[in-house]
Amino acid sequence: MLETRNLSKSFGAINVTRDVSLKLERGERRVILGPNGAGKTTLFNQLVGEIRPDKGRVVLAGEDVTALPVQGRAKLGLSRSYQKNTLFDGLTVEENLGLAASVTHGHWHNIRYDSLTRRDVRDTVREVAEQVRVMPYLHAQVSDVSYGVRRQLEVGVALATRPLVLLMDEPTSGVGPEMSAGFHDLLNDLPRDLTLLIIEHDMDLAFAVADTITVLNYGEVVFDGSPEDARDSKLLKDIYLGAWEDA
Amino acid sequence: MFRHTSLRFWTLGLIAALAIWRALTAEYFGVETVTEIAILAILVIALDMVAGFGGMVSLCHGALMGAGAYAYAMLTVKAGLAPPMAFAGAVAVTGAASWLIGAVCGRSHGIYFIMATLAFGQMAYSLVFEQPIFGGDDGISGVPRIDLTIIGLDLNDGRTFAFVSLAVLGAVYWFATHVLQAGLGRSLTGIMHNEQRMRALGVNVWRIKADMFGLSGMIAAAAGALAAQHVMFVSPGLLNWTVSGEALVVVILGGLGTIIGPVIGAIVFVLLKHEVSAHTDYWHLVVGLILIAVVMSRANGIFGWLEQRLSRLARPVPARDVIANQVRKDLAAKGSLEDA
Ligand SMILES: Nc1ncnc2c1ncn2[C@@H]1O[C@H](COP(=O)(O)OP(=O)(O)OP(=O)(O)O)[C@@H](O)[C@H]1O
Ligand SMILES: [Mg+2]
Repeated sequence: MLETRNLSKSFGAINVTRDVSLKLERGERRVILGPNGAGKTTLFNQLVGEIRPDKGRVVLAGEDVTALPVQGRAKLGLSRSYQKNTLFDGLTVEENLGLAASVTHGHWHNIRYDSLTRRDVRDTVREVAEQVRVMPYLHAQVSDVSYGVRRQLEVGVALATRPLVLLMDEPTSGVGPEMSAGFHDLLNDLPRDLTLLIIEHDMDLAFAVADTITVLNYGEVVFDGSPEDARDSKLLKDIYLGAWEDA
Repeated sequence: MFRHTSLRFWTLGLIAALAIWRALTAEYFGVETVTEIAILAILVIALDMVAGFGGMVSLCHGALMGAGAYAYAMLTVKAGLAPPMAFAGAVAVTGAASWLIGAVCGRSHGIYFIMATLAFGQMAYSLVFEQPIFGGDDGISGVPRIDLTIIGLDLNDGRTFAFVSLAVLGAVYWFATHVLQAGLGRSLTGIMHNEQRMRALGVNVWRIKADMFGLSGMIAAAAGALAAQHVMFVSPGLLNWTVSGEALVVVILGGLGTIIGPVIGAIVFVLLKHEVSAHTDYWHLVVGLILIAVVMSRANGIFGWLEQRLSRLARPVPARDVIANQVRKDLAAKGSLEDA
């Protein structure tokens, strides 16, 4: 469904992505682990096209999209959420979801009718609001709701495009353990045929939702396998789990 | 995001009533003033569409209005086209040109966008000034008004012309608010709030910007074609960048991103100009002081100030503040989600 081949990127002298080759099957749920600065977000940026790789290819649903701009890849069914909330702050929760849903249903460009009041858009907004548990806040302004709700909305906006592949960059970053557990349910309730690639620091959550785990360190894939193998991996313990167990 | 509010409707009704009353009862000079305000209001609505809802602060809208005026004058006087055809032609040609300007400038932001639009405006100005076909410094005179006698309207009558200008203003207000509430306008507002996210959602950002800029240019051209008919001649001064600057002042004075605010701004600006310039040559000084006062007051122009004063009327339906408060109470009751 989503594949990278020998993806490489450097900023100046630092190699942030080194020869990364990944392959996600349809419906696969993969978690990316790695210490701070390992190049996880930079990898996402290259997957969606916000940053051009120096070398390598990105293949989405069998199509080479390396040369395609962000919006082109989005139209093919690739969607992402951001590590740092990237919402429409001055608008309501409903309008945030509505903007995304009007793209999904092809109303983003008409000059004849209000895209946000269309039946199909409203249905999608409702469904997604339920999926990410923001139903009670629909009419509240984004700047008025709590950080946790904004975090859920961040995923909701990405979901409202009804993607084939969803990339989530640390959906639980900055939220407490209770909310993290909430995200577990949220992820479990997502449709099974949706391909998920999740960057996650919360190890319990990571092991609970992952079909497969990839570990990045200094821009390099140092582990790629099942959660069981990941737990046993000596390498993983050395570079990452050590820090986690201390925490 | 554009929202209808009761305050907006009340203001609109009040302005319409006053305008019609003035156009019906005023003497010659008063009627001319109504027309002048209507034309300026059309221009500033066009500017507010892109500046207030897309963050595209344009310094070429004066030139776009000038282009519309010149296109109308050229098509009637030089090409001998029937005035209604010339009007449509002027709007179409200017619209196409502004679409291109939007497509090119839309790739830049902030001060760079402003400078790029200024450059386009200056190019148009020097083109008109230096090409003999445009009549140079003298401009083009003998510009005819549209003949509406079939429907019983004689546009050569000042009062009738004022009413037709007001009708065009009404149509433009409706069109602008309609487009801003349609998918295109919603997307443009989304881009203003977060361009990166809109792109990630699959929106062709430059296309939205170019299309809205094109529509805005068409409206500016309509203002220009009206102005050309009003004074029955055109001169290069119409394309001067100071016209664009003045339009921006009017938008900010009235309330950026409110559509109705700039209309109020146009009324205040023109009335002030006439009142103050009757007493002193330094009327720009007075307008400048008022603008500084408005900007320092931290309200969004005159309409923004009204919205603050009459906040109960300024609430869109359903009242989102009420719900937001309810939500806050719910959150406090649950106590599970705290702000980071
Ligand atoms: N645009 C940029 N220019 C220069 N260096 C960058 C840029 N973006 C990221 N980097 C650097 O690349 C490295 C990887 O950053 P990245 O954000 O991908 O890490 P990450 O794995 O997502 O980390 P975290 O867990 O903290 O989110 C860091 O050293 C960062 O400083
Ligand atoms: Mg990161």
